[in-house]
Amino acid sequence: MFGEPIQALNNALSGMINTLRSDAQALDSLWISIVTFDREVKELVPLTELVNFQLPEITCPQSGPTNTGKGLELIYQKVTAEVRKGTDTQKGDWRPLFFLFTDGKPSDIQLYREMIPKIKSLHFGAMVGCAAGQLADDSMLKELTGTVVHLDTADTNTLRQFFKWVSDTIEQGNKSMGTVESVALPPPPTEVHLVI
Amino acid sequence: MDPKLYIEKLFEVKQMPVAPHQAALFEEFCSNASYLEAATDILRKQQLLMDAWSLNNRINDIKRQQVMIPNGTVGKVYGAQLDTTGWGWQDLVLLELEGLEAIGLAYDPETQQIRGIPEQNGDFKLKLKFKVTGEAEDAVPNEKLIPLIINPDPKSLWKTTPSDNTDPFWKADETAVSAPLGDRHIVAASKRGRSHANTGAFRDDDFAFAHFATSGWSVVAVSDGAGSAKFSRQGSRIACDTVVQYLGNKAEGGDFAELDTLLEAYNTNTGTDLQKKISLHIYQALGGAAQQAYKEIEAFAKEQGAGIRDFHATLIFALVKKYKSGYAVLTFGVGDCPIGLISKDRSAVHLMNKLDVGEFGGGTRFITMPEIFRDDLSGRFGFKFVEDFTALMLMTDGIYDPKFEVEANLEQVSKWDGFLRDLEGDNADLARVNLDADNPDIATELSVWMDFWSPGNHDDRTLVIIF
Repeated sequence: MFGEPIQALNNALSGMINTLRSDAQALDSLWISIVTFDREVKELVPLTELVNFQLPEITCPQSGPTNTGKGLELIYQKVTAEVRKGTDTQKGDWRPLFFLFTDGKPSDIQLYREMIPKIKSLHFGAMVGCAAGQLADDSMLKELTGTVVHLDTADTNTLRQFFKWVSDTIEQGNKSMGTVESVALPPPPTEVHLVI
Repeated sequence: MDPKLYIEKLFEVKQMPVAPHQAALFEEFCSNASYLEAATDILRKQQLLMDAWSLNNRINDIKRQQVMIPNGTVGKVYGAQLDTTGWGWQDLVLLELEGLEAIGLAYDPETQQIRGIPEQNGDFKLKLKFKVTGEAEDAVPNEKLIPLIINPDPKSLWKTTPSDNTDPFWKADETAVSAPLGDRHIVAASKRGRSHANTGAFRDDDFAFAHFATSGWSVVAVSDGAGSAKFSRQGSRIACDTVVQYLGNKAEGGDFAELDTLLEAYNTNTGTDLQKKISLHIYQALGGAAQQAYKEIEAFAKEQGAGIRDFHATLIFALVKKYKSGYAVLTFGVGDCPIGLISKDRSAVHLMNKLDVGEFGGGTRFITMPEIFRDDLSGRFGFKFVEDFTALMLMTDGIYDPKFEVEANLEQVSKWDGFLRDLEGDNADLARVNLDADNPDIATELSVWMDFWSPGNHDDRTLVIIF
């Protein structure tokens, strides 16, 4: 992702953070972490309480591999280590939500496929794969999660709509539910196609 | 650089190097003062360009450098130190930091600190005016924008939107009641959590109680509808009402006569045989009530063309009866709502049920899950015979989460004592519930007490106290 799309992504993401900041429940309980994956996999922002969260600009190289598998590997490590499970003496965190955003397809397919069952074993409250633009591969994301949305264009308006939906989804994430159920997703905006 | 050397290098670069046989000629050339001066002049101007360029670069780098200062929150004391050392700004003279006044903050150039109490929330850009060492005294100061995020005061964000009272499953957003219960007294309050009020959602919690005078049994039930299930408010209502009605019918119909005999004998004969018999009765009576709650909800869901999971609700209930030698307390529970029995002298507490708590927040089990009845139910019952007690309390997680946090604390009498003291007015709001049967305002007091503020805990709250 490069040029206008990445700029649009930054704007939309920052808009989403602002929206969440004005949500009473989110401001009280939401923690966010951002991992970027291209040639390199990087924890851009470690898990941070929304109150203290500051969004840095996301940059991507113009070309090179998309190491989605490596990205998943890091997510797996981080979630395993950082999300607190409920015990007799420790309050459990709400189930984490996972949003994966890509405009390409995994270059490290073998690792990507190896990581899928591990990621699934983390029991995210919701897992949303978002494929942006014509080059993004929906079918690869489908292997990871049943919820894949496709954005035809990655312009500011589409992304803003998408992230509005993401924040609506996040706001669904803190309700009591059966121990094995997942979060009910709100209907996606018209700019977003749910890939069936 | 030596001007003479510069001239020699210049000729070299311009492809006219001084050849060995021209050495004497070059020496003579360089003895001309005006040439040397010209070279010196060039060198000086070069230096000037170099200095200006690196200064410009430096200023540009500083302007582009991402520096972060901590976020603030409206109404909360803010203090941040500009980390000039960490940012590598040793060569900077900071002059002013503009844009703070409008937020309600101030900058102290001496200490390079921002202080104050923010009054406004938003994404602000502060304007830092600075100079870099080497800049002229009269140079226009440089400007750098530094982002500062001020969060809104979380309390200010909560809205109270009434729920839709034309909804077929509507219930009052809050309710509080007190009444005699046999020879004891009961006070109960249930109110919509801020997270529900914020979106105009319904109260999902419910409770019900009754005293059956002929048999002497009292029944009290509390249920918490799952936030994720669309008709859970109705599920919790059916669950509570069914249990009270079912057990009332059984009690008044004489079904507990044998249990009464066993309980009468309990204090004088506590052999395992008697225990077993009592357990069996509890299993049948309370298990039957729980199953009836499931059936009623299932039938109702079917009638509505909905799934039973749309009615997901937890359920705890207790039966209490006074005998000559004391009180029998029988309980059942599914979900994450505790029942606590506090001893007469407040020196002991008995947690009547084990909570269903998942590894993630909000994860629990519901009376509406058929597997509850397929699994072993026996761990879900509680029984205690006590001479007297201070209070029997049933609460939903809206109270338990903020006041006890974790299950282990429910076993600690100190926590329950703290909870009682909290009710007695030991809290930030100085809200007090005078647990006195003659107190006419007791229900209102409990309702007011229940408005306590606890960050992150904005679920429906229900608390029932038998005292």
